[in-house]
Amino acid sequence: MERYQDALRVPVSRRRFLWLTGITAGVVSSGLLAACGSDDDGETPPSTGSDATPTTGASTGGDATATPGDTADTTPAAEAPTSPSGEGEGAPGGELIVAATQDGYRTEPNRANVGQYPLNTNIFETLVRLTPDYQVEPVLAESWEFVEPNTWRFLLREGVTFHDGTPFTAEAVQWSMGRIAAVGGGQLGVDETSVEIVDDFTVAITPSRTNLRVIQQISHPSNSIVAPDTEPAEIRVGTGPFMEVEYLPEDRYVVEANPDYWGDAPQLSQITFRFIPDPTTRVLALQSGEVDLVVEVPRESARDLTSMDGLSLVTSKVGAYEALYVNIHGEEPYDLGQEKAVREAVAYGIDKDSIVNGVWQGNAEISNTMIPPAILGDAGDIITGTTFDPDRARQILEDAGWVEGSGGVREKDGRQLKLTMIVGFPNAEIHTPMPEFVQAQLADIGIEMDIVQTPDTAIYEARLQTGEGDLWAEAGSQNDGNPCFLPDLLFYSPDPEGDPESMAYGNAFAPGAAFDAHIDDCRAAVTTEEVQDAAAEAMKVLVDDEFVVIPLAGTFRLYGVSAKVQGFEAHPSGVNQRWASVSVDEG
Amino acid sequence: MTRYLIRRLVYLIPIWLGISFVAFSLANLTPGDPARLMLQRDLGRQPTAEEVSSVRDTMHLDDPFILRYVRWLENAVTGDLGTSYRTGEPVLSGLAQRFPSTLQIAGLGLALAIVIALPLGIMAALWRNSAIDHLSRVLALLGASMPSYWVAYLLILLFAVKLNMLPVAGKGGWQHLILPSVTLGLGACASLMRLTRSEMLEVLGQDYIRTSRAKGLASWAVVVRHGLRNALIPVTTVVGMRFAGLLGGAVIVETIFAWPGIGKFVLDSIFDRDYPVIQGFVVFMGTIFLLVNLVVDMSYAWLDPRIRLSR
Amino acid sequence: MRDATVSGEGLARAGVNADQGAWRNQRVVFLQRFLKDWTAVVGMTIVALFALVAIAAPVVAPQDPTQVNASAILAPSSSEHWLGADNLGRDILSRLIHGARWSLGTAFVATTLVVVIGITVGLIAGFFGGLVDDILMRIVDVLLAFPSLVLALAIVGMLGPSLRNVMIGMVAVWWVDYARVIRGLTVSLRDREYITSAHCIGCPSHHIIFRHLLPNVIPSVIVLATLELGAMMLAISGLSFLGLGAQPPTPEWGAMLNNGRPFFQSAPQLMIYPGLAITIAVIGFNLVGDSLRDVLDPRMKK
Repeated sequence: MERYQDALRVPVSRRRFLWLTGITAGVVSSGLLAACGSDDDGETPPSTGSDATPTTGASTGGDATATPGDTADTTPAAEAPTSPSGEGEGAPGGELIVAATQDGYRTEPNRANVGQYPLNTNIFETLVRLTPDYQVEPVLAESWEFVEPNTWRFLLREGVTFHDGTPFTAEAVQWSMGRIAAVGGGQLGVDETSVEIVDDFTVAITPSRTNLRVIQQISHPSNSIVAPDTEPAEIRVGTGPFMEVEYLPEDRYVVEANPDYWGDAPQLSQITFRFIPDPTTRVLALQSGEVDLVVEVPRESARDLTSMDGLSLVTSKVGAYEALYVNIHGEEPYDLGQEKAVREAVAYGIDKDSIVNGVWQGNAEISNTMIPPAILGDAGDIITGTTFDPDRARQILEDAGWVEGSGGVREKDGRQLKLTMIVGFPNAEIHTPMPEFVQAQLADIGIEMDIVQTPDTAIYEARLQTGEGDLWAEAGSQNDGNPCFLPDLLFYSPDPEGDPESMAYGNAFAPGAAFDAHIDDCRAAVTTEEVQDAAAEAMKVLVDDEFVVIPLAGTFRLYGVSAKVQGFEAHPSGVNQRWASVSVDEG
Repeated sequence: MTRYLIRRLVYLIPIWLGISFVAFSLANLTPGDPARLMLQRDLGRQPTAEEVSSVRDTMHLDDPFILRYVRWLENAVTGDLGTSYRTGEPVLSGLAQRFPSTLQIAGLGLALAIVIALPLGIMAALWRNSAIDHLSRVLALLGASMPSYWVAYLLILLFAVKLNMLPVAGKGGWQHLILPSVTLGLGACASLMRLTRSEMLEVLGQDYIRTSRAKGLASWAVVVRHGLRNALIPVTTVVGMRFAGLLGGAVIVETIFAWPGIGKFVLDSIFDRDYPVIQGFVVFMGTIFLLVNLVVDMSYAWLDPRIRLSR
Repeated sequence: MRDATVSGEGLARAGVNADQGAWRNQRVVFLQRFLKDWTAVVGMTIVALFALVAIAAPVVAPQDPTQVNASAILAPSSSEHWLGADNLGRDILSRLIHGARWSLGTAFVATTLVVVIGITVGLIAGFFGGLVDDILMRIVDVLLAFPSLVLALAIVGMLGPSLRNVMIGMVAVWWVDYARVIRGLTVSLRDREYITSAHCIGCPSHHIIFRHLLPNVIPSVIVLATLELGAMMLAISGLSFLGLGAQPPTPEWGAMLNNGRPFFQSAPQLMIYPGLAITIAVIGFNLVGDSLRDVLDPRMKK
């Protein structure tokens, strides 16, 4: 019970630490977290917001050998982590073929995330993971606790073996975290000395900087536990329900059921993930029966799928969002966003309703914030957002001295009002055809806009780092249950001493002191309501006062599924998608 | 024959140097300072003037162009074409790894084109203005006029979606090869057909053929023994050129059919501004093209002894 | 793809046959023969029609090709949108009509540049011979050592995707075929008696080039160029299809095809019409080119 009480005290100290370290925590991890931004969701009930999250699993810590089922009294995170079907040793059968997006794995030593992220083939497991309801639940760690000031102690599951027969022990955790430490510590902020092996099944992780978000961050598949002395760039040895058969880069990834899996046996005998970057081709492959399931069905043509025999559209909960960020610190020629009138005009010049209901055929929801309402609560009502008003947009520009020039493009002091929109996070296809629609609408109010599509996250971020662009289209979302998480992560003023690679977002978008003050409030808030209020105030600065963020829509994941696929539950976070409970009815 | 081969090989050296020079010069087309670009990628911010100039020093960017070229060439000759910005892998291995896939569809595409074009072309020449001649003309016209990327979707719609006979995309069994190969081979088929026809017509009009015919040799024997061999000489050249063209043109087909070949790799690199890969692609494909030409020359010489003797 | 070598060889021979003055005398005959060929007439009609549409696009197009309209998204054919509307509610017919400007225009400009560069280099190399010839022809050899699309792709890759850069890439690669053909013609003409005598009586080089060589070279070039216009259009729109050329909202046909891909079953009008437009235009160019070749190359007409 002592541990339990420690855990109860956490929220107070947590905010304190966040206040102290949030800058680095947020900024250093921006690249990575943003990368997972589109995966996670804010569906968590508000009550489990910032306060509860660090303690979620800690409450089970009183009993070192607690099974997941024993944690039911505190959080919904208590369900058996895999295969809800519970068929146990039932003979696996059925082969599933999945059309995935492009092969986005990295293959450099230590940074390699083959099989983990962005396509999670369920070869690997993490210590804890997120449920589709965004609760943290135990996997390789049976329980955990927070030890002040900055240590997380995990009690590991016993009797688990890696696919090569190696037993899973604390050593594997140390090895896996060591890989992360070797390349800068990632969002966790671990270094070589962070992981202490207490005994074979107990590890203590002390990040090199204060980080109370460890328990949520460590659920990210990039923090998967790999077998000691193995490197995923070379060989993939995990503990998951599936084992690698073959990985052919940019072609396919084949996995088979792990017969010795510690949890409920997977229903499928084999899954083939095929990398098909083009969304049209993906859907066609589903239609022709070549694949059984496709990810990321284009929003604008998803409707077609429902009219095809034997196919259906499966959607996840809303969690992700679509928004434009305006570069307000850019250097010429990307400096026009510095002028508030320009940002305001852009905000009023875009018809969100037409984008959501017309262009995307209703496969999204209109939103005035980036934070899903479910997590922000009524507090979000203070954000008014902008509604489409081209006359007002024109007037704003007129008043600011931008007058009609040649070819309908406005000019001021001989400079044309030309903006560049960068589209590519997490890929360009997911946004289409929104950019072109916005382009046409802005042309209507006298702003010429170029569209630059980047094929993947890496090149998008490379561009963001150098600030080459005015408007940045992002499809991202909440990473955990904390309403402030995202604004904190992306828009808090960067620490000039921080890791330069990770300051990209702050360098381009941070609106400054007024906003930072709300985030500071957020970090210091005690109750859920306070956190929500602070988050809403921060969001209001971004959306209503500064027009740094122009939210367009709240979005959900779209999967195309053949009728023979059963038991597929779309996780709002794609990288947390689980396959063990899916089965294929060949009949 | 061996002496001819050696002579051709020696001739290829200056051409290859030219190719490498073009590839190297291309990198100088990139907007912006390469040192700055590299620093931006590595540092994630605008580098300072000092940083830029120090990197320019270590990269020897301020050396004369020729000196830099020679330095680059030394590496290129040993197979070091630099490292991909995007994947971090050596450019040459990245290209070489994906090349066999491209070779597959280009090879099959060309084979299909030849199998269809040669008989049709010959028949069209033998029976001028017959139905088959007109048919071949129409086919050739369509083949040369329809955009391959449009045809690809029509083929997918028909054979993969409606008839469900062939897979839509990706790499797998032999079935996966068919649609990409057909799409790729279409243009080549059209031009080969036209060429075969016109070359056959010319050969058939030659005196020796007329003489043979007059002597009463069976017309098929004449066509095969004399006509075909002579008509094939120019066709061989074009087949070789076409093959290289198919390798280069695979980028569109590979994109549509999600075929993991060299063209798709380069297209991604273009969008990624992965300049070393683009540069390596030029050297790689140029080299392949030279080798293809060499093979063509050799078969040319084999078909026509006059060539290897005269030069 | 292109047929340059094939037609080039034929044309070289055809050009050699077209002696000084012969071309001028035969012009009428050629024209008559050309017009008798029904394929030529069909081809000319297509080309003329498309050219007219391109020139008069702003007048002919019923609507603004970039005007989005959320209520008309993916609308089928109707009296308002004859060919339907695209995924942003833009009128497809209007986009096709304006697209003719981009697709034909870029092909025409690029081909013109190719011809001008090709003639210039070819004439210089052929007329002056010697070292100049050697250097220029080695450059040509090297550039010919690339599959045409490879180098064009690389140039676009280095300069960045845009329609202008695609044209630069195509021109940089395609002029070599012309240069080689023109050089061949020039060399064969150079040693003709009338040229030699022109030299002897002290005519300046530019006079010989412009008065004697150029007129003899032009007909061959016209044929080659017409043949290649279609191929050029296919290549440029192909690169646009890949996203390397025309950028949104430019209604270039290749880019329109690319844009229509997700809907090629549910709203096929987005892909069918631009594809047809390209095909018909290229057929037009190819018919004209083929007929011109038949007329000018006696070898083909027996």
